[in-house]
Amino acid sequence: MTTVAELSNKHTVQWCPGCGDFPILIALKQAIAATGLNPKDIVVVSGIGCSGKTPHYLNTYGLESLHGRGLAAATGVQLANPKLKVIAVGGDGDGLGIGLGHFIHSCRRNVNITYIIFDNMVYGLTKGQTSPTSRKGFKTSSTPHGAIEHPINPVALALAADATFVARGFSGKLEHLTNLVKEAILHKGFSFIDVLQPCISYNHEQTYEFYNKAAYDLGATKGWKADNVEKAFKKAYEWGEKIPIGIFFQEKRSTYDDELPQDKDVPVALQPIDNVDITVMYDKYL
Amino acid sequence: MAKNKVALTAGGPAGSGVFTIGAMFARSVQKLGLWVYYTADYASLIKGGHNSCYVRAEPEEIHSQIKLSDILVAIDKLTVQKHFEGLSHEGALIYDSSSFEINDIDMSKRRDIKIFAIPFTKLGRDLGDKIYGNIVAVGAVSALVNHPLEKLYVALEKQFGAKKGSEVVEINKKAAKLGYDYLKENYKGVSFKVTLEEIKNQPTLLLSGNEAACIGAIKAGVKLVAEYPMTPSSSILSFMAANENKYNIVVKHTEDEIAAMNMLTGAGMTGARCMTGTSGGGFALMTEAIGMAGLSETPCVIFESQRTGPSTGMPTYTEQSDLRFAMHASQGEFPRLIVAPGDVEEAFYESFKIFNLCDRVQTPGIVLLDKHLSESSRTVKVFDTSKLKVERGKLMTNEQMAKATAFKRYELTADGISPRCIPGQPNGMHVSSSYEHDETGWTTEESAMRIAQVDKRARKLLAIKDEEIAPKLYGDADADLTIVSWGSNKGMVLEAMKFLKNEGLKVNFLQILWVLPFPTKKVTEILSKAKKTLMVEQNHDAQMRGVIREFTGINIKETLLKYDGRPIDPEDIYFRAKEVLK
Repeated sequence: MTTVAELSNKHTVQWCPGCGDFPILIALKQAIAATGLNPKDIVVVSGIGCSGKTPHYLNTYGLESLHGRGLAAATGVQLANPKLKVIAVGGDGDGLGIGLGHFIHSCRRNVNITYIIFDNMVYGLTKGQTSPTSRKGFKTSSTPHGAIEHPINPVALALAADATFVARGFSGKLEHLTNLVKEAILHKGFSFIDVLQPCISYNHEQTYEFYNKAAYDLGATKGWKADNVEKAFKKAYEWGEKIPIGIFFQEKRSTYDDELPQDKDVPVALQPIDNVDITVMYDKYL
Repeated sequence: MAKNKVALTAGGPAGSGVFTIGAMFARSVQKLGLWVYYTADYASLIKGGHNSCYVRAEPEEIHSQIKLSDILVAIDKLTVQKHFEGLSHEGALIYDSSSFEINDIDMSKRRDIKIFAIPFTKLGRDLGDKIYGNIVAVGAVSALVNHPLEKLYVALEKQFGAKKGSEVVEINKKAAKLGYDYLKENYKGVSFKVTLEEIKNQPTLLLSGNEAACIGAIKAGVKLVAEYPMTPSSSILSFMAANENKYNIVVKHTEDEIAAMNMLTGAGMTGARCMTGTSGGGFALMTEAIGMAGLSETPCVIFESQRTGPSTGMPTYTEQSDLRFAMHASQGEFPRLIVAPGDVEEAFYESFKIFNLCDRVQTPGIVLLDKHLSESSRTVKVFDTSKLKVERGKLMTNEQMAKATAFKRYELTADGISPRCIPGQPNGMHVSSSYEHDETGWTTEESAMRIAQVDKRARKLLAIKDEEIAPKLYGDADADLTIVSWGSNKGMVLEAMKFLKNEGLKVNFLQILWVLPFPTKKVTEILSKAKKTLMVEQNHDAQMRGVIREFTGINIKETLLKYDGRPIDPEDIYFRAKEVLK
């Protein structure tokens, strides 16, 4: 059994005091502990940004990739060794701006990765520019007259791209978030959680107070079942006074590595390569 | 009569199956025991336009095309117009008389050409489909050179047997015989200067640079291929995909080249040998992740087959203008390995080798190919794998890691190479990071550690021995002219040297094979003794000349540079060499 203490290391966490990232890190540790995974078999992969530092604060294997490329690197790990548990984390700029293509393809690919977006609707590490999830009109240093574009709806986007586990969490509700992350890790296939997370330095609109007032648990909503993609879409667009959090949609579908035609007993990364016989290929060329 | 020496060009619109003519002829003459070279010229479209292919065969080993062909097979009129002047003296034109006339083409300057009107299409249609016309043409060629049909039948079986079944093989055999008989009956008594006969030879493989490179990678144990198709590297992706089951290789056609290269940073971390293939444009998209592999010390191999740039350029044509780009791609400084194979054998052996070297120094490696090597085929001796041994460097075993304490993935060792563990192993947890880091992988911006890590990474290249990256010298050490070149030019330089030697001229050839680490000592030694030097490259800026000057201080004055997308011909090198020797 892995404990939260075992998953923690000596490093000082370098986020702003009060940052919404802290509860996500705690939820992640608690969820891993609850699943009983061995830390040596986990690879936490990130992109670049405030969220990108996450692998450094966990006593597991980690890969801090390039900006926007966490999911691509994570896919490389997962396909080479499907016996590892791969958890990818990223920011809204990282995953929905520069790395958006990988997000959509990871959803439809149903690669066996848990992906958590730390969604604070602003660029933090570059000091407060507009993000793909910033609301229209949001004023930042890169959009002093207000963002002109409509924001991306990550939940709706994941649903449209055929993700098999689509959820939204709020970093102010730790227990709820921990459960979501645990469910996501246990899900076989691509499991996505958009975590609403206040940036206390650069976003003074989507604050703890804002979300505490609006967020409600879908799971506690009477009659809600996360098995209907059309209903999930409708819920995904509910935003404002009421913001649903929880699992929007989940289905069973074979994962990318399930459908790979290769021998699956031993991951390709661990197969012996000392004595590969190439002569069987010769006939075509003789 | 020229025995067993022949060069053939076949041309027609894209989609007309013109490459089948060349491929079948090449395969059938390989069956005679001849050495064969095959290359193709095509445009970036699927139907129409003009495509051509070229086959050369001789009883002694050959390395490239030569300018003139002895036989021209024309599927359309444009082929006659474009190529008849490329026929050798008393060469043969075989054209499809059932689909076009050639009366109005002015061939008055070439009254020596022998013309054979063969109704390919009509004879094909008589068998049920005009597509058999191409095989009718190959049959006619066989008759022309007295090449036994049985050898062509073997080629047809290889081509169609496995994929399409015996019925298709039989009908194609009939087509070949129709063409053969038609020429024999209608051109009785017409002699031709070339005849082909079976000779004794060791078994050869006829394969392309890309195929040889892939087989080398498979021999090295590649386990994950992430690639996005791009001419002329696409056949790497399809070759690997065709073999994914046989060799348990995960082959991923990715959403783009950025994903492909980033996947390698993940796959490499797991210990899987991994690779991607691309051309210049895709390589451009990979550059940031190549630096990530360098900083995180993740072994992986990129096969970059150069084509005519910049930008989309001329997508299906050859060039060697990505040399500097490959050497410097990605921001910052980190060690990388680059090898530029010159022929099919080197594509195999060096591709195998680079995986070992990348594992040894834990850094990315690049196999720099060019279209002319990637997509041209040549007969080679069956590969000798007796000395090929997979070496994984400081990759730790599970037993070693079970005993490890305070393991540091980026430990500052004397040779700069740190022990490497992989996820799943105990006691080795660390972050493989795109940030500068300390010995444990933890991000650092501290000055002493930054310097120590940069120095450590740079130091790793010292683990590669001079003999592992040695350039090759062909011909007498004591020559009046040293030709210096690299990549697919190797074949053409070797052919040019045959011409020069016949005239008693003393010319040798220095081939730069490994570019990084650069074999400074050996190149300096050879060039400082050279009497005259000539640099041959397929680019405008003489990039390799600059590289040589940078590392050795020696400036090669004379150049032969070509950048029209077409390979340099041996004749071009021959004439330029004679000019320089004057």
